[in-house]
Amino acid sequence: MFWHSFKYALRSLLKNRSMMFWTLAFPFVLALLFNFAFARLHDYDVFEAFDVAVVDDDEFRDAEVFSEAFKSLSEADENRLFVTQYVNRERADELLEAEEIEGYVYLVDGEPHVKVKKNGTNQTVLTTAVSQISQRIEIATDIIETKISKDPMSAMNIEQISKEAIEAVSEVEPNIKDNSRVMNMVVIEFYTLIAMACMQGAMLSSEMIDRALPNISSRGKRIAAAPTRKSVIILSNLLAGYIVLLTGVLGLIAFMRFVLGVEFGSNLGLICAHAAAGSLAAIMMGMFLSVMLKTNSSAKNIIGVIVTMVGCLFAGMFGGQKGWFDSVMPFVNKISPVGLITDGYYALYYYEDMTRYFMNLGGLLAIAAVFMILSVQGLRRQRYDSI
Amino acid sequence: MTVSKAFWKIVAKNIGVIVTYTIILVMFGTINMSSNSSTAQFEAVKPKIAVFNHDSENAFTNNLLEYLDKNAEIQQDYSEDSVKDDLFYEAIVMAIDIPENYGKDFVAGKNPELHTRTSSGYAAELAKVMLNKYLATAQSYTVLDLPADELAEKINKVLDNEIEVETLSKIDTTQFAKPTRYFNFANYAILACVITIICLIMGSFNRREIRRRNLVSAVEISKMNGALLRNSCLYSFGVWLLYVVIGYFLVGSKELLNLRGVLYLANSLAFCICATTIAYLISRLISGRNATDAVMNIVALGSSFLCGCFVPAEYLPDFVLTFAHILPSYYYVAANDKIGTLQGLEFSDIRPVLINIVIILGFSVAFVIAANIISKAKQRE
Repeated sequence: MFWHSFKYALRSLLKNRSMMFWTLAFPFVLALLFNFAFARLHDYDVFEAFDVAVVDDDEFRDAEVFSEAFKSLSEADENRLFVTQYVNRERADELLEAEEIEGYVYLVDGEPHVKVKKNGTNQTVLTTAVSQISQRIEIATDIIETKISKDPMSAMNIEQISKEAIEAVSEVEPNIKDNSRVMNMVVIEFYTLIAMACMQGAMLSSEMIDRALPNISSRGKRIAAAPTRKSVIILSNLLAGYIVLLTGVLGLIAFMRFVLGVEFGSNLGLICAHAAAGSLAAIMMGMFLSVMLKTNSSAKNIIGVIVTMVGCLFAGMFGGQKGWFDSVMPFVNKISPVGLITDGYYALYYYEDMTRYFMNLGGLLAIAAVFMILSVQGLRRQRYDSI
Repeated sequence: MTVSKAFWKIVAKNIGVIVTYTIILVMFGTINMSSNSSTAQFEAVKPKIAVFNHDSENAFTNNLLEYLDKNAEIQQDYSEDSVKDDLFYEAIVMAIDIPENYGKDFVAGKNPELHTRTSSGYAAELAKVMLNKYLATAQSYTVLDLPADELAEKINKVLDNEIEVETLSKIDTTQFAKPTRYFNFANYAILACVITIICLIMGSFNRREIRRRNLVSAVEISKMNGALLRNSCLYSFGVWLLYVVIGYFLVGSKELLNLRGVLYLANSLAFCICATTIAYLISRLISGRNATDAVMNIVALGSSFLCGCFVPAEYLPDFVLTFAHILPSYYYVAANDKIGTLQGLEFSDIRPVLINIVIILGFSVAFVIAANIISKAKQRE
């Protein structure tokens, strides 16, 4: 009888086009849109040489050290910062006005000046680079002057001192060891989307249980009158919903991983286990809402959507505010299924130690267990005086 | 009158939809406005960093800390446990570990190792440049074998000497980032509110039994259609007015009560008209609450994601922006972005904005024509 009921639950679920759209198709559409919108958000940070100009007048030609240093930053190699045009002042102004260059450099009394149209990232890079060249010249001059003031006789050997000073500023290599792993923050958006897809299970199971409840639907009355145990009906409906949901979620993960190239870490088993636990928690939450709330199906759906979307907001779906929410209300993401699903995938991707992942997995299973126990308590020995 | 009454009854019944999308606009519009993704504000922001100093009291290390404090925002009482997560979420962009005896070894010319952990992104690059600049300057001076306090003095003298930067902009347009972001985000809310409600109403009137009843009623079908169209426009105007009032409170009167503000309002009004015609077209193609919700979500979310409403257009891939040219939202967002960066308000300055508004209205005309063609074809069936 269980498999008979399961078969019809599955068939009726698959024929529900609206439910199938929101559970199976909509997360794929969103994943595609996320991919379009966020594709360059991370790549945008990768530096590319940009257009600038230098006023090529007598001042610039006379300032040999400065002009050589600037030209070296425009050479076509991997350290290139600028694509430089050497023009007169009028042309530089025209180029800047037309936004064909980000800014231009000119010298007044040997001092470099920068002219930009507006403030921005490239303008900051140009200013910083020109400032560094200027400061290096200043340091070299200062080193020469200090050495001569300490030992006036060394002025006789000015060429040697100048050479040492130039070496001192040009051969510096700050000893900074960067221990970072380059990570892509955008993956969180995709993890929250998986969590959202799992949470569609709440709507799905709520609908499935509502069908079996005599006080909600006429089909429920018929089922209640049938000589089949309530537990068989409920379990078969839940299993059908769970299988459809999990298939959709795993398909979504495969689509993200293999088509969109979203990184999840390398442990395929744990990636699937987390999807299974997340889907289970959502299915149980839907059952809980359906059993406990004495209202119609659409009101239960609205509550499910609110829980999901607020969870998504706290988990970082809308603009990476997770860090801020965690600092203000740290407990929310510890008890929200959306937060636990997102954080589990984050732990798999970013952490080598699996403790955090298993904490999240355990949290999801605990939520599923609590909802299941409460729902079973609610469903047991339900009797109706009148329907 | 009967048609108008029925129209507003359905609006009142679905007031929850308007409230929901308005809450979304207020909530995410506020988050969007407070975020700092604009490159225009890059220079004004100090990178957030954490420093773990294991060195003893030392003039060189103290000077480094003072320099970092001046050029970055150092997080106070920071815990090592938070570093990994905060770097990922860019709550801090760099963590610096100053080892024991760092200052002493540096002054002695040993060039000791400094450990950093950085996030990705321009703010992290800026922090790296800042630290590198200090250490490079300090390292250059080590050839003079100076004591720590004299070395610090020389470093400060060089680093305080900044070059002169001239800006061509007549006005600082970063102040208009807020209204631009608000009105860009309103794209989603306008589409969602207008399409859902108008499609629901049109769908109700187009239901077979209602349509047949109306056909045999005393009201002429052209008059009924006219009333529906008038009320749809009135409803859209109400949505626009509501979002303008909310914008007034969220963005502030200073940014909206001027010619630039009038341009934002004109652009959003043109887009509201366009959204009404999109709804009119969709209602000719589909009916039913579930189908309406699905199509509305795809149209509203799709055009918002693809045209730069949620993520600024400058971050979108070129092929997405090229595709977006076929959507009215693209011209709406482009006009908002242009209004936000206008250097002057002469006719020649605002011409590109007006062109975009005309294109949006052109889309509206095209949608109405398409809807009428479909409607006539359906009538023949």
